[in-house]
Amino acid sequence: MTENEKKMTAVVKPEDIESLIELFEASDWDEMHLEIEGLELFLSSDPKARIAAQPQHPTATHASASAHAHATTPQGMGHLAPPPTPAKEVSSAPEGCIAVNAPNLGTFYRAPKPGAASYVELGQSVTADMEICLIEVMKLFTSVRAGTAGVIREICVDDAEMVEYGQTLFYIEPA
Amino acid sequence: MALNRLFIANRGEIAVRILRTAKRLGLETVIGVSEADRESMGAEMADRAVVLGPAPSAKSYLDERLIVHAAKMTGCDALHPGYGFLSEKAKLASLCEEEGIVFVGPRPETIDMLGDKLSARTMALQAGVQTVPGTDHVATIADAKHAAEQLGYPVVMKASAGGGGRGMFMARSAEELDISFEHASREAENAFGDNRLYMERFVERARHVEVQIVGDGEGTIVHFGERDCTVQRRYQKLIEEATSTALPIRLRRKLHEAAIRITSFAKYRNAGTVEFLYDVDREDFYFIEVNSRIQVEHPVSEEVTGEDLIARQLNVAAGQGIGLSQADVHFRGHAIECRINAEDPFNNFMPAPGRITAWTPPSGEGIRLDTHARMGYLVPPFYDSMIGKLIAKGRDRSEAIERILKAIRDFRLEGPNTTLPLLSFVATHTDFRENRITTRWLEDKGLPDFSKA
Repeated sequence: MTENEKKMTAVVKPEDIESLIELFEASDWDEMHLEIEGLELFLSSDPKARIAAQPQHPTATHASASAHAHATTPQGMGHLAPPPTPAKEVSSAPEGCIAVNAPNLGTFYRAPKPGAASYVELGQSVTADMEICLIEVMKLFTSVRAGTAGVIREICVDDAEMVEYGQTLFYIEPA
Repeated sequence: MALNRLFIANRGEIAVRILRTAKRLGLETVIGVSEADRESMGAEMADRAVVLGPAPSAKSYLDERLIVHAAKMTGCDALHPGYGFLSEKAKLASLCEEEGIVFVGPRPETIDMLGDKLSARTMALQAGVQTVPGTDHVATIADAKHAAEQLGYPVVMKASAGGGGRGMFMARSAEELDISFEHASREAENAFGDNRLYMERFVERARHVEVQIVGDGEGTIVHFGERDCTVQRRYQKLIEEATSTALPIRLRRKLHEAAIRITSFAKYRNAGTVEFLYDVDREDFYFIEVNSRIQVEHPVSEEVTGEDLIARQLNVAAGQGIGLSQADVHFRGHAIECRINAEDPFNNFMPAPGRITAWTPPSGEGIRLDTHARMGYLVPPFYDSMIGKLIAKGRDRSEAIERILKAIRDFRLEGPNTTLPLLSFVATHTDFRENRITTRWLEDKGLPDFSKA
């Protein structure tokens, strides 16, 4: 039995999972077990092993809520723009910056309450655990932390706008 | 009140199906998808697609707060839940109500009442519709024998506290009942610490029949005939038909009336299905439950009535009533639907997600395919395994069978393993063609024959 555990710091996209499955199928491995930040992938060529693995792995993968960045879908109606390619997403990020993405769909708020000062402004230095915005879902507010110490280089969303899961909210240049 | 913008809170073929009608009716559409479905057919068809959350359903399709928030923020005035996921969760319906979004389905109270088996059963009895005949608690063997004579053998003794097939013992005669009663009491006591028993008539040869209805919420109900969904594996339907040719004509009418009585009593709103168990030997039917949603198998009813049930749903949701009366519903021909699942029928129905590498669907007279799949589509491992539904209509049952069989054989689908080989086997099996099947048939006869073939 071969077990391959890989440590990867990169984010995982559905295409990556597909590629992994294709790689696995092309290989002579019996099993592959992969865990990356909240994502767990178990592949086996033995159908029985898959069943046995199920109780521990209720779904095949658990994508982490902050798994990856993607371009914003424009507000308002109109036809959906063609899905952005990963390459485009990367190139849209200011050089050397780290994206802070929406953990779920919701309404983006820059300030703790209406009329209050914004959590952060452009050019401001932040620490990793500093709250930088709120995401509201049906009057339930979740604060989003910077995650990285550095300087706010871009604020990508207007206050009170709806954001989708994974949408980039800020770019931070690491200190 | 006309609807303007519809939110589709579902995925797969039903999202595509809802979108097709919504677009035909000139509605604007928004679909909420998971990360895994952002490039799906539904996301492409909708005027706008919003990503609710990551692939796992619990963080996307099953989060009613996310869904209603998305519907509200995208300016939708109505929400269609499809089937599965949150379609029969009263919480989604009530959250929509609170936010001023029209829920395309029954009132939350109705969903709750029908979702509880006991209260649904009580309601059916109040509406004068029979459930499987049975008793209250049976205390002694003498009482049991008396009850069995009233009900007629065979009977089954069941533990009050039981479930999942445990504490159930069948008896075909008074002699067998002595033993069954004893065994059932002992197992009830041992397994559940409660030896109370009750008795039900045992339906040896059962078929699954159901009636499609649409209600206006005020007590007016129109039915769209019955469907026969007897080909099942572990309570999962594989093949559905409309109408049911196994049911005597005099009973068809009674069945429709029973479905109307129950749903009219509940002042049912929107589309629903009343399910019955049909006792082949006694030629009688019993109420099982009401499904308060549009069902997977709705196309066969559409095919034999020429109706668009999603359009009827949207009509009722817009407060414009059902839009037709019973006299306007006519039945013509016979329709059969096969569920194509990405499961391996040669390997215990193991789910077989993967990429579709060849895709040439069948066409021809009377053939319909409801699907979200296409060449290159990756069947994701996160959701149910249905790839699509193949539907054939003919002048009668045998023509429908010939057409579905040809369509199944013509379907070129490569990549994931599918149920197509099994569907083709069933469509050629004499028992199916002569309609001599029961709900046990596939597991007891069809599948063993299939594995030998």
